[in-house]
Amino acid sequence: MIALHWPSIRGRARADLGPLLLVALVVAAVVLLAGATPPLIRSTSDDATREAVRRAADDAAVRVEAEWPDDYGPTGGRLRTPELAIDVANVGTRAEGELDESLRSALQPPVTSVSSISLAITDGSVQRRLQLEYLSTATGEPAVTWVAGRAPGASTDDEFREIPLNGPPWPVQVGLSETDAAALGVKPGDRIPVQDEQRNPYDVRVTGVFRPADVNDPVWGPAPWVLQPAANRDGFGSTRFGALLTAESVPDARLAFRTDQLRRVVRFDADPAGLTWEKAQALAASVARLKGGSAVSAERDPSLKWSTQLDNVLSDLRDQIASTTAQASVLLIAVLAVALLVIALAADLLTHRRTGALTTARHRGASLPGLATELAVESLAVTVPAALLGLALAFVLAGGAALTWVVPFVVVVVCALPAFGTLAAARATRDRRAPANRSARHWIRRTEVIRRFAVDAAVVALAAASLVALRQRGVGSTVDLPAAAPALGALAVTLLVARLLPLGTGLALRLALRSRRPLALFGAARAAAASSRALPALTLTAALALGSFALTLYATADRGLAEGAWQTTGADARLDLSSGSGSGSADDVAARAAAAPGVRHVVAAQVTENAQFIADNTAVPARLIVVDTAAFRELLADTPLPGLPALPTATDGGPVPALVRTGDGSLSPGVRFSLPVVTNQAIALTAAGTAPALGSGDDVVVIDAGAAGPEYEPNTIWATGPGAADALRKAAPGDRVTVRADLLHDRRTAPLTEGLSRLCLLTAGILLALGLLGFALAAAASAPQRWETLARLRTLGLRPRDTRRVAVGELLPPVVVAALCAPPLGALLGWLTLGPLALRLLTAQATDPVTVTPWWTITVVTVVALAVALPAIVAVEASSRRRRRLSEVLRVGG
Amino acid sequence: MSEALLSVRGVNRTFGAGPAAVHALRDVSFDVEPGTMVALVGRSGSGKTTLLNVIGGLDRPDSGTVVVDGLDLGGLDEDGLSRLRRERVSYIFQTFGLIPVLSAAENVGVPLRLARAAPAEREQRVALLLDLVGLADHAQQRPGELSGGQQQRVAIARALAASPRLLIADEPTGQLDAETGLAVMALLRGVVESEGVTAVVATHDPVMMALADRVVHIADGHVTP
Ligand SMILES: Nc1ncnc2c1ncn2[C@@H]1O[C@H](COP(=O)(O)OP(=O)(O)O)[C@@H](O)[C@H]1O
Ligand SMILES: [Mg+2]
Repeated sequence: MIALHWPSIRGRARADLGPLLLVALVVAAVVLLAGATPPLIRSTSDDATREAVRRAADDAAVRVEAEWPDDYGPTGGRLRTPELAIDVANVGTRAEGELDESLRSALQPPVTSVSSISLAITDGSVQRRLQLEYLSTATGEPAVTWVAGRAPGASTDDEFREIPLNGPPWPVQVGLSETDAAALGVKPGDRIPVQDEQRNPYDVRVTGVFRPADVNDPVWGPAPWVLQPAANRDGFGSTRFGALLTAESVPDARLAFRTDQLRRVVRFDADPAGLTWEKAQALAASVARLKGGSAVSAERDPSLKWSTQLDNVLSDLRDQIASTTAQASVLLIAVLAVALLVIALAADLLTHRRTGALTTARHRGASLPGLATELAVESLAVTVPAALLGLALAFVLAGGAALTWVVPFVVVVVCALPAFGTLAAARATRDRRAPANRSARHWIRRTEVIRRFAVDAAVVALAAASLVALRQRGVGSTVDLPAAAPALGALAVTLLVARLLPLGTGLALRLALRSRRPLALFGAARAAAASSRALPALTLTAALALGSFALTLYATADRGLAEGAWQTTGADARLDLSSGSGSGSADDVAARAAAAPGVRHVVAAQVTENAQFIADNTAVPARLIVVDTAAFRELLADTPLPGLPALPTATDGGPVPALVRTGDGSLSPGVRFSLPVVTNQAIALTAAGTAPALGSGDDVVVIDAGAAGPEYEPNTIWATGPGAADALRKAAPGDRVTVRADLLHDRRTAPLTEGLSRLCLLTAGILLALGLLGFALAAAASAPQRWETLARLRTLGLRPRDTRRVAVGELLPPVVVAALCAPPLGALLGWLTLGPLALRLLTAQATDPVTVTPWWTITVVTVVALAVALPAIVAVEASSRRRRRLSEVLRVGG
Repeated sequence: MSEALLSVRGVNRTFGAGPAAVHALRDVSFDVEPGTMVALVGRSGSGKTTLLNVIGGLDRPDSGTVVVDGLDLGGLDEDGLSRLRRERVSYIFQTFGLIPVLSAAENVGVPLRLARAAPAEREQRVALLLDLVGLADHAQQRPGELSGGQQQRVAIARALAASPRLLIADEPTGQLDAETGLAVMALLRGVVESEGVTAVVATHDPVMMALADRVVHIADGHVTP
């Protein structure tokens, strides 16, 4: 049993209260950061999940399609089903029954719809389409007021009528919303002339015009075109109208269409309110199961077909969260690594202060295990309460604390303090007279060199391995070698630089010997003597380099967000015109906006997302922009977006020249391709040049408005200038205006992005503080020797005020190394490691943002911090010794 | 008496206060003639170091005066004391106090640099002094590469570099074995004569006393000349 000597434990702790408290402070701060970050990431992920699902709206909905049962009648015709609405409602109930608990809680009550195919309206207008819709929820059909005419009813008195298969079109009664009716110019009693792709006519009769009780009722969700015409739903340049069916008229619709022309769909909108990231993952799994097919379970209804983009939305989110988590891990590991270096410096300081006392204790008979135990008790007493405090703070601030990082960190700290002390005591009491034998001395020095080299080589190899792993497979789970790449890289490089430091100080000394300034010589001599200790320079430089890295990450993400907002908006503001908004023609709107103050450029364009091009007999979806290219070029030149290359003018009858850009290279300059339009024609195109990346997607085709023919109907207006947003809002009050500045603000304040930005800045600040603290601790450890030496120099006639300058000289090498190496090293780390961290997922860019190094900030912060810290430390050291006489300093040292 | 290079009058120095106070020097008075070597002898804790510190201006007495080469130390500020150390008083310590990264020659040259001597003049004097202490062959070696006796000889050469009037040595042989210590003491004796300096050397080794011109005994803070 090892006997602990409590009085000496207490005595030591009291004598070194300052350094021990500093250790406790560092432990508490690091534990707080490392403990709070994972729960913060989790809650941020939850927020992001809710927001992603909310934003995905339509895509996040779960749809179930149910096949129709046969409706053959006894005489071979089709039999009317008067109870069809109830039948349809049952489908909703059945579908709900198949949802498991996780899905049901994440979805809103279903809306059931019966939708026809989209029919062409044959009133001579271009590309107007009509779709018949029956909508209902558990509470029944949507509430409407019939402002003209009456609600649609049955087309026949004979409820159970059987109709022949090839009779005339069966009449269907429908209602129209006021907006749709006005846009179509029809009134109750009118027929809407429609036909399908095979030119079969349908008999659609308008019985009434209605006004919805609540346009925001979720029941309208599956078919918004019933309330308002919708653009481009049925191909480039199309407008879709919706006609409302009722429970009475939907049996007629069933008869009016072939079975495959009418779909009944149950739609569950996602309910983001109670969603968390964890639930979302369970959700994604069960969605995938449902989509996977009916073979899984015997209870499953094989007539139900499930479809949703929810799993894709969640998988995009998973990538985003993984990217954020990876970046947070990288930053955390950097802080932990530097904190450990600082703890090592604190342990070193304690050892310096205690070597005497420990040696005395050894001489009085204390055993090494006994001393180690005493020091371990002290270390536990300092570290564990500090760690608990940090965890408690994490609980208060983040609502939780993760131990993944905390436990290893605390264990290392608890062990480091006694290890340093015991080693020092062992070394001090070992018979360490240098061997007289020359070759033995040589041998000792050589093993020392070999040991150092082995350590250096190991660190460099580990750093290289982590870097390779990072670049090959990115950051995976939280505790991961690749995530340590920046920290290890910084350590490896600074270790090598610190090893080279003696060469630098040696050179400085040689220069100082040649100079005639004795102060320079003393400073250089002290610096040369101190430079054999690598740890101070290592800690300071690594801390500042990793801090620079954190700022580089921040600046890159920030610039990426700004560029992403430019890409998404396309200008300072963008207006999306909807056909029913009554804003007038796009050219009028554009002219009004251009006349407003503070507007520099306005361009109208027809933008079709996901236009289906055909190249080489394969479909190539891309964003189609039809625009006055000359004006567009001028507008783009007014933005940081890439410029628009010149486009040759179209030759008569020849293919229309286009600028193209595709991620997979399926469209490239020189290729001929075509754009099918709904009227069974195709526009022949030729790729004449490379388009710049416009919009969030990768694939884009630009053609000139003059070459587009009659299809050109602008739906998008871009404007630049400080007044652009206001001008567009005023020019088209009913339409959606996307303002770049607002978009940027939204994205910057999105949970994951904002969390990461804050973490970057916080980490940079903590690293700076840790670096300076480490430097101060190293200075404190060497201070007694430094001031004793200075006192000796004073016995040679050095003036008191000159001693400070010599002290500055001694402490200068780590500072110079840090000031010179940290900013470029931080930039290098950013350049090497930001790519695999996939920042584009957060900045909403098509490609990873270019690494932005905030040279000014990091250089100024580094230089100012060091320029303040160094004289401040020396001033504190000097003033704490001002009252001491030389005789005293020389007697007891320091 | 007015010829004395060093004159100590009624010097008291007490450390601490109250019952724990240590009276390290009690009413110490004595004179040292120029060009003599005085051995200050006393047991450990008798006050030798305290007295030497007061004489050299590293410490100030609580009362009494110290006059070195006609300068009353009590009237000098820190800069004045710095100048005194640069020009008239130099020290030799038990622990040598050499700058480890500088060669023997560079260490010896330090006081000359502080005195802003011309480089050529400096090198000449350094060579002369290293020759004097018998280390001409070791000029380029660093302290770590020299034996203790050699290091102390470098320290003596350094102490002489700026041609001081008074040399103060606090147990200069304390870390050396007897034989080496005697050699260093003999060297000191020799340079006092050849360079014409005055030396006060603290020691508790009776053998060293034989080499001194005069022995001053100190016991419990009292000096008996
Ligand atoms: N700075 C100090 N504080 C307290 N006591 C001191 C101090 N310096 C010396 N002393 C005491 O003064 C006495 C004389 O010390 P010192 O001059 O060092 O003796 P010596 O050099 O002869 O061994 C001793 O008792 C010593 O403990
Ligand atoms: Mg002494």
